[in-house]
Amino acid sequence: MFIDRLLNEDSSPLLEQWLKFTDARAELLGDDVVNASTPGYKQKDLSVDAFQKQLESHLETSETASPGSVSFDDINFDSDSATGGILFHDQNNRSMEQLMTDQAKNALMHNLAVELLRQQYSILTAALSEKA
Amino acid sequence: MFDILDMGASGLVAQRIRLDTIAGNIANMNTTHDAQGRVSPYRRRFVVFAPGQADDPSQPGVHVQSIQEDQSPFIRKYDPGNPDAGKDGYVELPNVDMTIEFVNALEASRAYEANVTMMETAKSMISSDLRLLA
Repeated sequence: MFIDRLLNEDSSPLLEQWLKFTDARAELLGDDVVNASTPGYKQKDLSVDAFQKQLESHLETSETASPGSVSFDDINFDSDSATGGILFHDQNNRSMEQLMTDQAKNALMHNLAVELLRQQYSILTAALSEKA
Repeated sequence: MFDILDMGASGLVAQRIRLDTIAGNIANMNTTHDAQGRVSPYRRRFVVFAPGQADDPSQPGVHVQSIQEDQSPFIRKYDPGNPDAGKDGYVELPNVDMTIEFVNALEASRAYEANVTMMETAKSMISSDLRLLA
């Protein structure tokens, strides 16, 4: 389909996955913050490295394939529990500094992806309307 | 995405209940009678948190599972002139320690602030999402 190819060219599908990832991660990090005083709660997180590796391999395949033929939908988000701090007496491994930093980074990554996607869309709109 | 705000709200409610309980403990630091006027020192209360929303524990968030009474022994003070004193001259006072309560209050208010910051971050993400649509 022509429209599929148009929408899935460039980095749009990549940015789409990026947004899905930051959304899912924001939810987990938020859960970690609200449960900072819950006894026995284990911090949850998604692995950024694993996600970026998957993106990278998909990107490599899509560079040689015809535009829009590589689907990014099969990227899965691996959970990662290694980022917690020391275990407190209430069996909770909170690390507020780490948590707030991760959250800020995640939000910035999200906003960056949105900005890039907006640019892609505006290029597409310009092309469609034949007006720069 | 909007779930994050519900989650943050659950955290705010939980921390506020915790702070309310602490305020109750401090207010009753010297209470030696119960509501019916009988001699019964106030027992320190504390909240127990559990993960999950209050109405649906499978949803991410936090809720107050129960408010429990601290069963540690009462503070005993020698005061033979006090009408509440026992035969040995000791009065039983509530098992509330001001230092512990203040430390907990500080932790609760910091946790409340962390929740607010988390919600602000989520809001900035949502508003940038909305800009994508417009």
